[in-house]
Amino acid sequence: MQPFEYASPKTLKEALALLGGNWSDAAVLAGGTDLISLMKEEVLSPRRVVNIKEIAELKGISKTAAGIRIGALATVDEVLSSPLVRASFPSLTEAARGVASMQIRNMGTFGGDLCQRPRCWYFRAGFGLIARHDGKDLVAEGDNRYHAIFGSGPARFVSASSFGPALVALGAKIRIASPSGTREVDAEKFFVSPASNDEREVDLKPNEILTEVIIPTSGAKNATYEVRQKDALDWPLATASVALMMKGSTVVSARIVLGHVAPTPWVSPEAARAVEGKVVTVETAEAAGKAAVAAARPLSMNAYKVQIAAAAVKRALMAAAGVKA
Amino acid sequence: LFEEVAPSLGAPTTELEAVDGKIQVKGNPAKSLTWKAACAKLGVKTISETGQNVPREAPKEGLNTGGVGGVQIADVSVDVETGIVKMNRLVAVQDCGTVINPKTAESQIYGACIMSICGALMEERVMDAVTGRMLNNEMEFYKLAGIKDIGEILVHLEIDETNDKRGVIGLGEPPVIGGIAAIANAVANAIGVRVPYVPMTPMNVLNALSGRMS
Repeated sequence: MQPFEYASPKTLKEALALLGGNWSDAAVLAGGTDLISLMKEEVLSPRRVVNIKEIAELKGISKTAAGIRIGALATVDEVLSSPLVRASFPSLTEAARGVASMQIRNMGTFGGDLCQRPRCWYFRAGFGLIARHDGKDLVAEGDNRYHAIFGSGPARFVSASSFGPALVALGAKIRIASPSGTREVDAEKFFVSPASNDEREVDLKPNEILTEVIIPTSGAKNATYEVRQKDALDWPLATASVALMMKGSTVVSARIVLGHVAPTPWVSPEAARAVEGKVVTVETAEAAGKAAVAAARPLSMNAYKVQIAAAAVKRALMAAAGVKA
Repeated sequence: LFEEVAPSLGAPTTELEAVDGKIQVKGNPAKSLTWKAACAKLGVKTISETGQNVPREAPKEGLNTGGVGGVQIADVSVDVETGIVKMNRLVAVQDCGTVINPKTAESQIYGACIMSICGALMEERVMDAVTGRMLNNEMEFYKLAGIKDIGEILVHLEIDETNDKRGVIGLGEPPVIGGIAAIANAVANAIGVRVPYVPMTPMNVLNALSGRMS
């Protein structure tokens, strides 16, 4: 780890003033469950680390007129244990459960989960988001078993966010503060596929802090399903989060979003079309899963993820609609 | 040890013998101390001795380092949509001849069973063809089983005179070996297809099921 300056401001305004115009100037420290590893591996070496955990206005989970507000500093465990969240958004509760270690759930934050860097082992070894070495495309020519099966850009890592797909399915809004004010971004637009190593995987500038997320309550039936090999301390191979507007047992409209299969949470209009106007059954859910992956473009080693992604969609739909296997 | 207990038994060390779990005056079980009582005489002292066996004389001495054997039986469930193998139960019966400390011998075998599960389902070094680096050089992607990944493990030690007479047989790593094969056989039995690689990760299981080369 490289030496760094450490600041622990008590207000958002002070924190924003401590950030810089470049990513190397400063890094925001929330739970530290990702940043510390990145700094130890020297993938990131910010000159200044700004601890935001003392900023009260970033904490908490509450009901608002618009829906539910989750502060960026709400821990994963707080989201998991929140009856407010469970009542309206079981897909978020399930996503929180999927953060697969108690220690990480206690320290890791909601905002941190959205902003975490990819787990791609080439990125973590220092080869960049678009990993190249000696003119070779490391992901394409190397071990891509855990990499993307969707995406048209050069990025081939998968988005590691546990909450991202559910937030995109639920139409959440992400609020971001900067020295010049606040802005709001649709969750779907917050995640981006970088075209170069200088870009990031989220719509955030070096001098901005994600402050809170507002999730509108719409009465949608929602669920998350994660496929992971180990029960704990493991990343999912593929996930799906769905939000269904129902009329009786018929799906009026669906948002189906896949996780860990693309550089961003992957919205599937194809899967949605496969269930809209229908009742969710094992058959229709399976058809939606197949539709979700019809356009998948696997790499040399990850064709198996296509089937797993389809299974995740099928099982998330069945969970949301309360259909037993 | 005889030196430590001789005073309590009122006999010289030359007149003592160790028989049937007791230190006694030769031929006189009434004048004896149980093993536990004899060792209690040591207080905080320790007795440390080193022995050696000559392999070609092992049958005479009752000590050997060969003839290891064991049986492992595995019960698994495979989710054929996701390729995930779930351990239901692993039974291990290990042949190790004379068992001196059953508790630690069992613990050794439990540990070996857990490592079988890891070897069969999770562990591998992932090496990068272009840079030569080990890609999973940390616990995040070098996967090891957690407490909910191991199912039920049952260990049986057959402790009887017949086995005692077979002498001391190795117990360290051997119990791991059979478990990996048993789990591989159980997976093949479950899905009707042989997964020709360990670890039998979801990738390798699904590739075997679909006939796809990984």
